[in-house]
Amino acid sequence: MKHSLLLFLSANHLHAQRMADGLIAEQHEFPDSDQGRHEFKTFLQSTKCPTYLLTDLIEEDFRHELVPHLVGGNRAALIKRKFEQYYRGTPFHLATHLQRQKTGRRDDDILFSALTNPSLISPWLDIILAKKIPLVGIYSVPQISAPLVKKHPSKHLLLVTWEKYSGLRQTYFSDHHLQISRLTPVHEDLTFDDAVEHELARTFQYLKNLSLLPAGQTLDVLILCHNHDRSKLEVKLPETADMRYDFTDIVELGKALKLKYNFVDSDASQIFLHHLATRPPKNNYANSTHTHYLDLSRLKNFLNLASGIILIFTALWGADSLINSRGNATVAAELEAQAKQALDEVQRVTSAFPNTYAPATDMKAGVTVMRKLITYSPTPHDVLSPISMTLERYPQMQLDELSWQMNATEPVAKNTSKDVPALVATFKGRMVDFGNNYRAMLDYLTYFEQDLMKQGYEVKVLAKPFDASPSGSITDQKAASLNELSFAIRVSRRPSILNVSDNNRPPT
Amino acid sequence: MNFTKNDFPILRWSIVAICASILFSSSVVYFANTYTVATQQDLRKASQMRNNSSNSLNTAHQDRDNMSIYADEYGSLINRKIVGEDMRLDWIEGMENLRQKNLVTNFRYNISPQKRYVPNPPVDSGNLVINYSEMKLQFDLLHEEQLLDFFTALPKNIPGWYQLEGCTLNRSASTGPNELPGTHLKAVCTGGWITLKSRSS
Repeated sequence: MKHSLLLFLSANHLHAQRMADGLIAEQHEFPDSDQGRHEFKTFLQSTKCPTYLLTDLIEEDFRHELVPHLVGGNRAALIKRKFEQYYRGTPFHLATHLQRQKTGRRDDDILFSALTNPSLISPWLDIILAKKIPLVGIYSVPQISAPLVKKHPSKHLLLVTWEKYSGLRQTYFSDHHLQISRLTPVHEDLTFDDAVEHELARTFQYLKNLSLLPAGQTLDVLILCHNHDRSKLEVKLPETADMRYDFTDIVELGKALKLKYNFVDSDASQIFLHHLATRPPKNNYANSTHTHYLDLSRLKNFLNLASGIILIFTALWGADSLINSRGNATVAAELEAQAKQALDEVQRVTSAFPNTYAPATDMKAGVTVMRKLITYSPTPHDVLSPISMTLERYPQMQLDELSWQMNATEPVAKNTSKDVPALVATFKGRMVDFGNNYRAMLDYLTYFEQDLMKQGYEVKVLAKPFDASPSGSITDQKAASLNELSFAIRVSRRPSILNVSDNNRPPT
Repeated sequence: MNFTKNDFPILRWSIVAICASILFSSSVVYFANTYTVATQQDLRKASQMRNNSSNSLNTAHQDRDNMSIYADEYGSLINRKIVGEDMRLDWIEGMENLRQKNLVTNFRYNISPQKRYVPNPPVDSGNLVINYSEMKLQFDLLHEEQLLDFFTALPKNIPGWYQLEGCTLNRSASTGPNELPGTHLKAVCTGGWITLKSRSS
């Protein structure tokens, strides 16, 4: 509660006090007259803070009723019907849900109440609305008395308070629920203690007549008063079987509530106003028309708050974004400097290059390709020399045809390079001067085959001069070939891994 | 909660304030976002530039190393006219020179149109295209040594690289009508002239 305006309305008087940080900043009294209302209008000129209107009027009616437990629109319709039934002539009505019955239909226990004489309130309220004051609500003293008895152990309690401008208020609570409340004006010729003594007896009888107090039940009376009045009351109010008395020192209560007010008598107005300002009840007698300017004020505050949050959020986000962006810019500048430095170095390196006819990558590619292709194409000398030298050791083998070619699809033998195509050579010839000695001829061919294999060739005999296998057919050769029988051999060889590696090694 | 026109003066400055704050915030968000995007783009560009320049530097270093390693050998490829266009006239003149040397009894050649060469096994030729002009050779030989002598003399007399793929030698006992007397061997060799050419040229 920072700034607020508290109004205490009695039948013929309006008390107004401006609160600032829990302290009474200013207070005024306005009689119920044209002059008083005019002064009130003037007083409100400089007021725009939330305003609480607390009424303490005789014309407040309370009706207890059990109604079926309904929710939503049905409940609203029921309550509206009850208001029209009981309080047709006043807009200041209220339905307070006290409890739900625990047995039977489990009906709702509702307290209907209303300020039944709107003419006492409307003149002041009209001024408030005309001045567009944000009215928080319209409350009554009985309505906000409940917190004072909340912790009292009694189930049948009569709270007695005195408000200077309205009179003696007696509010009856059953199980801490408000039941009825009576206001008795205290005339100037009647003292507080006399009024209490006189009115308590009447109220007790009234409660019994209404059967609000069960027969034989002792009524606990809690009197809120100043210590000056307490001693007189204790003398005048001896405890009986009907009533027990309990006293609360208004000064001590004020201290407990941290109320910065100097109590000089038993006037409890400030206690109620303090309760109203600090813990206003959710329900009150004001309708949406009365609180229209409060809604506008709240909307205005919400808009202002939203504006502030948006600006703060934007400022934080913008700052964060700016910091990140500046970080990016700094890193970008560093990277550009590094790039420039590297390009300078490139320039320095490339300027030292000879004025060549090709890029270095092309040079490397060209040299690499040619080194590789050279290994793909052995010279005839390389091909023929080993074969010729072997053949010289076998003079009875006459060569008629020799062919060779490079073949990459040839199987790769162990310790040979698959990166180079294999040399595949086929030679066809004749075996001569063996006569009829076929066994020697086949052995001679086998020796030749083994000799080639020792030199690293894969050897395959395509055609033997004489097929001595069980699947072969044998014809008398003598007449046909004059001691010469043909053969065909296929050999293949890949260079060893070591040789290929040597070939690909750059020249030193 | 119902609003009327009369309520507007109460809310006027709050509405103005929130509109102004939204407008201001939108502007800040827009310009900050624009600035952020611009700096991020600059950062990406700078990063790319740095990477490119770093790559360029590495390439320059590699080029420097490659040049020191390969320049001489590549120069010899150029001198031998392996790099560049087909030098068919050189080949023909070279073949005729070889004919004059009488290294073999007789030979005939046939050069086919140039085509792309695909080595098997494959070879990474980088930016270079390997061109291949097939040349088939037919020989009449007195003995095998003549073939060896011919292919020993070929690279010495003709600029370029002849990629010999294979040969077939036949011993013929009978002399045909077109054959020179004394010829005992016939050989057919296949292969082709290899030239390298840059794709960018």
